[in-house]
Amino acid sequence: MNYFGLLTGIATLLIIGLGFPLEIHGERILGYLWWPYMMGVGILLVIVSLFIQTEWFCVLVGILGATFIWGSTELKEQAVRTELGWYLLNPDKIKPPFENMIKKWKAPHL
Amino acid sequence: MNLIGVVAAVVTFLSVWFGHVAVRKIEFISPTIWIPVTAFFSFGLVVEFLSLSAINRSLSTALGIFGITLLFDAFEFVRQEKRVKKGHAPANPNNPRHAEILATYSSATTLDLLKRDPTGLRMSAKETSTNL
Repeated sequence: MNYFGLLTGIATLLIIGLGFPLEIHGERILGYLWWPYMMGVGILLVIVSLFIQTEWFCVLVGILGATFIWGSTELKEQAVRTELGWYLLNPDKIKPPFENMIKKWKAPHL
Repeated sequence: MNLIGVVAAVVTFLSVWFGHVAVRKIEFISPTIWIPVTAFFSFGLVVEFLSLSAINRSLSTALGIFGITLLFDAFEFVRQEKRVKKGHAPANPNNPRHAEILATYSSATTLDLLKRDPTGLRMSAKETSTNL
């Protein structure tokens, strides 16, 4: 019996669970225009995982990276949820660097 | 270079994407909720069993992650139906189960309210009751 995969799966569930509050609070404090930065952090984490020799730690960092990348594609919809009144809307969000440039890009949504 | 983290990341991303789309589409058309719940739960258990039997660590990881997301998707069907009742996800009038939800819950709607771009402003009652 190889328990590594099952434990990895459970860890994934817990890490994605952390993704929910990260998404809600991230959108509230920063706003959806931070999506390229969130995606960048995710990609960076996946790259960092390549250089981690301890397998379980390498896997956890990879999953965390994927969670950030997925989260970046969900920020736009979360912003709409706040505007619909389903979540608290914060009108004074912290603006991202290069805000005007990011506004011209289409925010990803899958 | 340790590729197992990349394997875990890719499988996590694709599994979450698959579940995200599949749960919404299947819940929208399925006349019952228990059939997809049972199917995803059973498939998830099979994939977890395969993960336990896999000798290769990367394969075990990939199956372990995919299996757990399938088990979670089974639970998500129930949550998705609740969203439809609240009007947070669109109801399908051609689906008898959803037609009943539309008749019973005044909050249920056929509109997909999330299909719009953010404006930064709180929407008015008129805006929240129409598809933009």
